[in-house]
Amino acid sequence: MTGLLAQATTKGPPINWEALSPFIALVAGGCIVLLVGLARSAFIRRQVVPVLTLLTLGATAGLGVWQWDINEGIVANAMVVDNLTLALTMIFVAGGIAAVFLSWRSIASAEAGEGEYYALMLMSILGMLVLVAANDLVVLFIGFELLSIPLYVLCATHMRREQSLESGLKYLIIGSVGSATLLYGLAMLYGAAGGTNYGDIAAVAAEMADDTLFMVGIGLVLAGLAFKASVAPFHQWTPDVYEGAPTPVTGFMAVATKAAAFGVIIRLFVGPLIDATTTWAPAFATLAVITIIVGNVGALGQSSLKRMLAYSSVAQAGYMIAGVVVTTQLGIAATVFYLAIYVVMNLAAFAVITARERETGLGDDISSLYGLGRDRPFLAWPMTIAMLALAGFPVTAGFFGKIYLINAAVNNGYGWLGVVIVVGSAISLAYYLRVVAAVWMREAPAASTSLSAVPIMAGGSPEGDEAAYAAGREPGADVGRVVSEDFGEPSIITSGPRISQPEVIFVAVFCALVTIAFGVYPEPLMDVARDAGEALQSLR
Amino acid sequence: MLQIQDVIRAYLPAIVFVVLGIGLGAVFASLNSVLGPKPKHARRATAEPYESGLPSEVKKTMRFGISFYLVAMLFILFDIETIFLFPVAMQLKAFGTFALIEISVFIVLLFVAFIYVWRRGALEWK
Amino acid sequence: MDLIWYLIVSALIFCIGAGGVLTRRNPLVVLLCLELMLNAANLALVAFARAHGDMGGQIFALMVMVVAACEVAVGLGLVVAIYRRRLPIDVDELRELQG
Repeated sequence: MTGLLAQATTKGPPINWEALSPFIALVAGGCIVLLVGLARSAFIRRQVVPVLTLLTLGATAGLGVWQWDINEGIVANAMVVDNLTLALTMIFVAGGIAAVFLSWRSIASAEAGEGEYYALMLMSILGMLVLVAANDLVVLFIGFELLSIPLYVLCATHMRREQSLESGLKYLIIGSVGSATLLYGLAMLYGAAGGTNYGDIAAVAAEMADDTLFMVGIGLVLAGLAFKASVAPFHQWTPDVYEGAPTPVTGFMAVATKAAAFGVIIRLFVGPLIDATTTWAPAFATLAVITIIVGNVGALGQSSLKRMLAYSSVAQAGYMIAGVVVTTQLGIAATVFYLAIYVVMNLAAFAVITARERETGLGDDISSLYGLGRDRPFLAWPMTIAMLALAGFPVTAGFFGKIYLINAAVNNGYGWLGVVIVVGSAISLAYYLRVVAAVWMREAPAASTSLSAVPIMAGGSPEGDEAAYAAGREPGADVGRVVSEDFGEPSIITSGPRISQPEVIFVAVFCALVTIAFGVYPEPLMDVARDAGEALQSLR
Repeated sequence: MLQIQDVIRAYLPAIVFVVLGIGLGAVFASLNSVLGPKPKHARRATAEPYESGLPSEVKKTMRFGISFYLVAMLFILFDIETIFLFPVAMQLKAFGTFALIEISVFIVLLFVAFIYVWRRGALEWK
Repeated sequence: MDLIWYLIVSALIFCIGAGGVLTRRNPLVVLLCLELMLNAANLALVAFARAHGDMGGQIFALMVMVVAACEVAVGLGLVVAIYRRRLPIDVDELRELQG
């Protein structure tokens, strides 16, 4: 077999198998997870499948570390594995691992089938890798769809809740409009350049910068990618989909998709289209301003935490565009740094929301956090740290993230964009601090402090379902039993530390600690981000 | 003047194709009667003009079952995957063994999907 | 024939598809319109490939077809799941016909 392979590699296109290994690990892991998920034994499905998923993600990260500093085109130059790709890979893997922990006891993964759920997640991560490694328009599109299609299904996995199904369909339709727009733009770029490789496009970018076909292409590509990165005015789907999707999926989507979308924006716009900067930079800078304003203002009045975080993610996307627009290595490094800390800040928040959703049966409403500060310090502190970091308080990583972005913007003549970031952060304090106030200053509602029964029958409400499932009961079974036994023994959900979910609390605490650690000592992460920025050698 | 051997040689592929076609068709048709399930008494469905599960008399209120959609979707997916074979076929000479291995990997992945669909019971008619 | 005509047709199809997605309410029709948008891009790709004498565009179009099929399959799956929640579809008539 090895002889055969060696012979094949001599004759086929040049493939660097070692650099390709993270991709292969994900494909193989996804297939294994899918097939193991078919097992009849509940133990294998509920415990072995997530462990296998974690192993796959770990292997991917390990292979990525092994290939650090490789910086070369693989598979006949259709993909590039460099430090930018690998740094973003680490971000995706981190998001994936956290999502696995959050989904471990979630009802969504049980309803969809664990094998499918985790295999879809792995395939989506593979799509993100392909997307940011793409060095060819065809690969870009394949990666884009491989990232999106599993996410559409993942959003709909909480099948007994109509909202989840609808959010999946909504995301599919809007996401597909985005990808069709992107594709049409790619077709225009191909028509202008005469080749699908980024090299072909880079070759003509300077002379074509004013060509109508080329400009229309860039505009459509920009719009298509803006859909995925939820950049205003293409963000309207974000709150609805974030709210409807199961919380672990929302967390995964919020962090990993954002990182992937920004990865490809950097790769394409700061790569082959760098010579056409005059064409796209003004449009991008305008979008950044609109996005920062729309996101921060939209988040103000939200009582649903997931909607609030959706608008907050829109605003954060606006901050990160600033790092891309300046087209310097410093800007790219700042964007990658911000993406990394954005992941940990948001995951801490989503972990707390997941935990409270299961415990209170109040869903993701802000009232589910009332009284958290007194009863549950291990949930209260992570939420507080996450909110302060998102707002950009000192001693949290969010502070350095914003400083680096503003620094990059000011250093390359976009000082006014830096001012907009500061103003946006000031507005954002209002809604982030509201959450902190809910955690520390509000009393828990009487029903839950006394731990008296808030009778919610499993099957009666989706939130109750989630709680019942996490507590180790089968929600589906409960419905039958409740009906047949004349409503005897309704499942009782209380607000208290009854449900043991150490993995969720672990994610929350770990992410919060990382946020603080990089807030005190950001150098290691900044070194990685700088390496990633230096991968784009055409920049200053 | 054309030799009879030349004529035969020229038409040999066509003849082989026709013979194989008839032969395979006959083999499968007869295998069906040997290996296929034999109900003790003829069921209503097998007596229908189109033995496909579709009722031949359609009432106004009739709806298609969910299984139709499921099978149709699976058909589209597995059917469309053959598209990937065409570019490889175009470049077969240039890549040789590599193309074979590549396509084998592709088929293995499809096979994983097939095993999944089959074991998950999506092919059972409900 | 000139390249521009292909592009005009493809732009028209794209706009029809986009208009349909924005205005129609039936999810199946919306999925159809999405297909129109993708196929408009396909037409442009193939026309460009022909104009440049480059195979890349044709391969791209083949890939897009597969992706479009996957998207529609997922979309149909979701539509069926939603409908199944709302109105249980009567399969009793078909159950006898398993022969």
